[in-house]
Amino acid sequence: MAKMIDSILKYYLMKQIDHLETKIAFLSEYQPILIEGKKAILTSKLEKLAFKQKHQLLPYAIQAGKIDDYLKEAKAFEIKKVEEKFFWSHRALKQSLKRNQNQAAYDASLASITSKKDENIITIEAKYAASSNLQEAIQAYELVVSNQKNEFDQLKTRLEKNYDVFATNKKQLLETKLSKLNDKLQTTMKQFHRFKSADNQLESMIEPDTLLKLDNLSMHFGGLKAVDELSFSVKKGEIFGLIGPNGAGKTTVFNCITRFYKATSGQIYYRNHLNEPLNLNQFVVHNVIKEGIVRTFQNVELIWELPILENLLVAGHTLYRTGFIGQLFNSRRIKREEMIMRQKALKILSDLGLLAYQYSYPIGLPYGILKKIELARTLMVNPQLIILDEPAAGLNDAETNNLAHTIKKIRDDYQATIFLVEHDMGLVMEICDTVCAISFGKKLAIGTPKEIQSSKVVREAYLGGE
Amino acid sequence: MLYTVNRHLERKAKLHQVMHHPYFGFFVLGFLLLLVQIIRISGVNIPTTVLRGLGLTMIYIIIALGFSILLGYAGLASLGTAGFVGIGTYLIGYLTNAKGLSVSMILVIGFLGAIAIGTIVGFISLRIEGLYLGIITLGLSEILNEVFKNATAITNGTNGLLMNRIVLFGQYYQFNSNTIFIAIVFILIFVMILTLNIMKSPTGRAMLAMRNSESAAQAMGVSVLKYRLLAFIIATVYAFLGGILYMTYIGFSIPTTWNLAFSLFVLAAVIVGGSQSILGVVLGTFMIFGLDLAVFQQIPLFQENPAITFILNGVLIVVVVMFYPGGLARLITNLKYKITSLSKKLMKKWKAFKYGEDD
Amino acid sequence: MFNETKFWNTFIIIIASLVVVYALLDIIVLRKLPKRSKNQNILINILLGLGLLSIMILLIKSLGMFLFLQTILDKVLSISVLALATTGIVLIFKTSMTTNFAQGSMATFGAFVAARYIIYLTSTTTLTEIQKVFLAIIASSIVAFLLGILIDVFIIRKAKYVTSIGKQMITMGLVLVISGIIPIIFGVLPLTIPRLSYEIVPLTIFGQSLTIPRHSIYAFYITMIVLVVLFTALRFTKWGLGVRATASNETVAKMMGVNTRIITAMSWAIAGALGGIASVLAAPLGGQVTTGLMVSYQVNGFMASILGGFSSFGGPLVGAILIPLLQGLLSYFAFLWQNAIVYLIILLIVLAKPLGLFGKKIAKKV
Repeated sequence: MAKMIDSILKYYLMKQIDHLETKIAFLSEYQPILIEGKKAILTSKLEKLAFKQKHQLLPYAIQAGKIDDYLKEAKAFEIKKVEEKFFWSHRALKQSLKRNQNQAAYDASLASITSKKDENIITIEAKYAASSNLQEAIQAYELVVSNQKNEFDQLKTRLEKNYDVFATNKKQLLETKLSKLNDKLQTTMKQFHRFKSADNQLESMIEPDTLLKLDNLSMHFGGLKAVDELSFSVKKGEIFGLIGPNGAGKTTVFNCITRFYKATSGQIYYRNHLNEPLNLNQFVVHNVIKEGIVRTFQNVELIWELPILENLLVAGHTLYRTGFIGQLFNSRRIKREEMIMRQKALKILSDLGLLAYQYSYPIGLPYGILKKIELARTLMVNPQLIILDEPAAGLNDAETNNLAHTIKKIRDDYQATIFLVEHDMGLVMEICDTVCAISFGKKLAIGTPKEIQSSKVVREAYLGGE
Repeated sequence: MLYTVNRHLERKAKLHQVMHHPYFGFFVLGFLLLLVQIIRISGVNIPTTVLRGLGLTMIYIIIALGFSILLGYAGLASLGTAGFVGIGTYLIGYLTNAKGLSVSMILVIGFLGAIAIGTIVGFISLRIEGLYLGIITLGLSEILNEVFKNATAITNGTNGLLMNRIVLFGQYYQFNSNTIFIAIVFILIFVMILTLNIMKSPTGRAMLAMRNSESAAQAMGVSVLKYRLLAFIIATVYAFLGGILYMTYIGFSIPTTWNLAFSLFVLAAVIVGGSQSILGVVLGTFMIFGLDLAVFQQIPLFQENPAITFILNGVLIVVVVMFYPGGLARLITNLKYKITSLSKKLMKKWKAFKYGEDD
Repeated sequence: MFNETKFWNTFIIIIASLVVVYALLDIIVLRKLPKRSKNQNILINILLGLGLLSIMILLIKSLGMFLFLQTILDKVLSISVLALATTGIVLIFKTSMTTNFAQGSMATFGAFVAARYIIYLTSTTTLTEIQKVFLAIIASSIVAFLLGILIDVFIIRKAKYVTSIGKQMITMGLVLVISGIIPIIFGVLPLTIPRLSYEIVPLTIFGQSLTIPRHSIYAFYITMIVLVVLFTALRFTKWGLGVRATASNETVAKMMGVNTRIITAMSWAIAGALGGIASVLAAPLGGQVTTGLMVSYQVNGFMASILGGFSSFGGPLVGAILIPLLQGLLSYFAFLWQNAIVYLIILLIVLAKPLGLFGKKIAKKV
């Protein structure tokens, strides 16, 4: 009974930690966006005012003979309009001349439209011509200018002051809120660690610097032993490659880790972002991602009915905190969350150079791009471990090079560990820190790429023995 | 002048914003439907069959909207719609006749009941794979039909159940069919807004992901069972709501209405219209139910041969599934695109005619 | 003769105790075993078998041997018809990967043709009743055969890129089309099909003197012959091999030189023919031939397939025997609710075994 209560409490604490962490993440991501938005509003207001003032100034400036740039522009605009009209009517006349061959009518019409155009231009010139250099007009103009400047300055100072107050307030609020949340998080973590120390046996199973550890993993399909007593471990922050001939059971290992298959026997240990050891065998397939494990698929599995940006948003699915009711009524919270997630997705897309595709649908895009989109999708959830299933399959050399670069970049920029299966030996040898070779579900060798290249067993497995 | 040009553009942009607001179309549709009632009040004689057809079509739109989330988003083809609508009708009929409960009370009971039944039924139905769901729900609707026929204490058996008109504010206000019509219009607008929110929300996206690639969705953290169940519950709640409105509007429910053909017609409406857009569902329902109820029943040919509508609907389903998976909604967007490109082309030709070719 | 409340009490107690036993065993024993899911399956199988057996014993005990046997004999016709309908559904499922909702409608079309043909025969020839019905059966099966080919060639074959659920919807649309066409072609006047024979045969089994209509015996023989021929063909002919190959993987079958087009077309045709025979045999039960003639058989056929599992031919046949039998036996206790109760039982079984009683799980590749 006590054990049950313990586990319930532990579950509750875990949920609490989860909740607090996402709240902190959202707050720290949301606040800058809000402040920036306020600033944008400020500048646009000022611009609008300046525009309006120029327009109000117009008659005074004409009166006083002060033709400044804006007025010149306005004049040119009007003249251009008249000339354009003339151009089109002239063209129409020429066309009708071609058709009717009536030279006299053409001449008459041309004369009339030319005179009309000249007339119009003269009136416009007259309107903008400095009508008088009277002292009064100039005084009035200067008065208006100074008034407007005052007005503008007042508004500017007011708005800037407002903005400063807003920004500082928000920042303060954020800081206090964040510190409060952090405190709460710390206390919950402490409580949680108390529980964790109770079941210490998992802690001893997985080394501190190891992210993932397979322990005698076996997966049998009927009589076929796809994976047979396989054990290895993946260290934090490395790029780990799993190689082997066709049918060696590489993808099955992935499917066991991501819980698409339930392993026949053996354990899979994993350290999540709280540095807490877990046994992945106890997880359901859709909960694995919440611990920071994301995967790609051998054949690209994108959502074909959604544009690329929304494909990324689907991947961020677990990060939304708004419940169904909130979504139903399109609450402010879900709008805010959508905004943040969109920003995040756009950032990832621009990091990987995919921004141009954000609104297009996956259908019809080149295969290399699709693979990259799948990679981008894994980054939405701040992953710890990214599992790539044959990322270079079906890509040409240039695309593969690009991919190698991208994978390294992801490892460095997002601090994720990468675990990949690949047939392209060039890629594996180039980017991997550790390589494990398997054949018929059994481990052949593990070590640095050089060691694997020189290993006799591996060569035999690939090329046949003797 | 520049400033005025700017102001003009601004105003235009605002209008554009309103016109392209996602809810704009719903209000236009609601206004058009209300217009019918306004015309009637102003003295023009509209046949009651037309009014009744429109009212029923609106109710069917609500039912079809729920079904479109189930079919178009979660990718589940269910044949239990008729049964659930039937439960809704009998629920309100029994509760007002025998128990004399108030409207709000019945709505609450109906809502909770729909969630409960949707959960139970969904849980049973979703145990097995998508393709068999149609069969399981078919069996369920048979069970429900049997219940409607045999539980005479509640449903009055095969004679059908008559319901007293609903009374609001304790006898002060009694609904007639026209006031209910107006109420249904507002409910319809509300339901359409909610449905759009679901479709555009993370929930809608998760459902679409599940429909497209189950394994990708699972890898992205979408719990397949949860979202299927959710879609099922949404469809059930909408069907219940449809049933309750049907009973308040028509006032009579008989087991033979809630048969397989009704479920198939709802399916046809959603497929023909396009299962992923609200516009499509509205158009499809008008096509399948509205035309039949408001127009065809006035024409002697169709009066004599009610089977023609069956053939029409069946052929529409087959043709749309085979050749036009997007349905009428896709057809309309394609047409729009074609018309704009055609008008651009014509404009260019006219210009070439008037001003001569560009050099 | 029998105590209704006592029966229902025992019935509920049996089911409840099975559920409790399952839950207890699952919690106490299975959680601790390494291969839980496999043992769970075995446990469910044993419990289901026990449950069905105890319900049968309970029915026999409370009904008495006479009523029990008599009900079985009464249901021979339904079982035969249902077996034919179910086999058609499974055949189409195997080759086209869809559940054919139009199976019943195709069969009903055949029945209408048969009824018209009988009228024609009566007016032009002087055949005996039984000969006319036999000819009608052949006519009906041929028409349904052609209808099946038509549907496959013009619709299903063209819908190659439509998903399984899409195909399912196409068949639902076909239900509407066929049930709309029938009254236009055949009119709305009532049509009837006579029985093969109106004689009632006395029988003695286990010392009980029972009766069975000769029509049922004929129907049973026809069904047996048709099914035996069909299963022999499936097992031993090239067509049967093709069907099995197409069922397991259509693309690979095509690459191996199996003409899947003809295989699929023939499956639709044969399914139609099976339905055509079934509908003529079933028509005399309801009196008139109506568009809703085969609806109950359609639903029952689906339920039987679900109960037995779509992956084999034998499983659905077991379902086709169990369903009418249970309906018949339960009708003594709850006349109006027999269908609902049987469907509920099936839903419960499906809840425990989603792939049916005899279904096999196919591992999916990710």
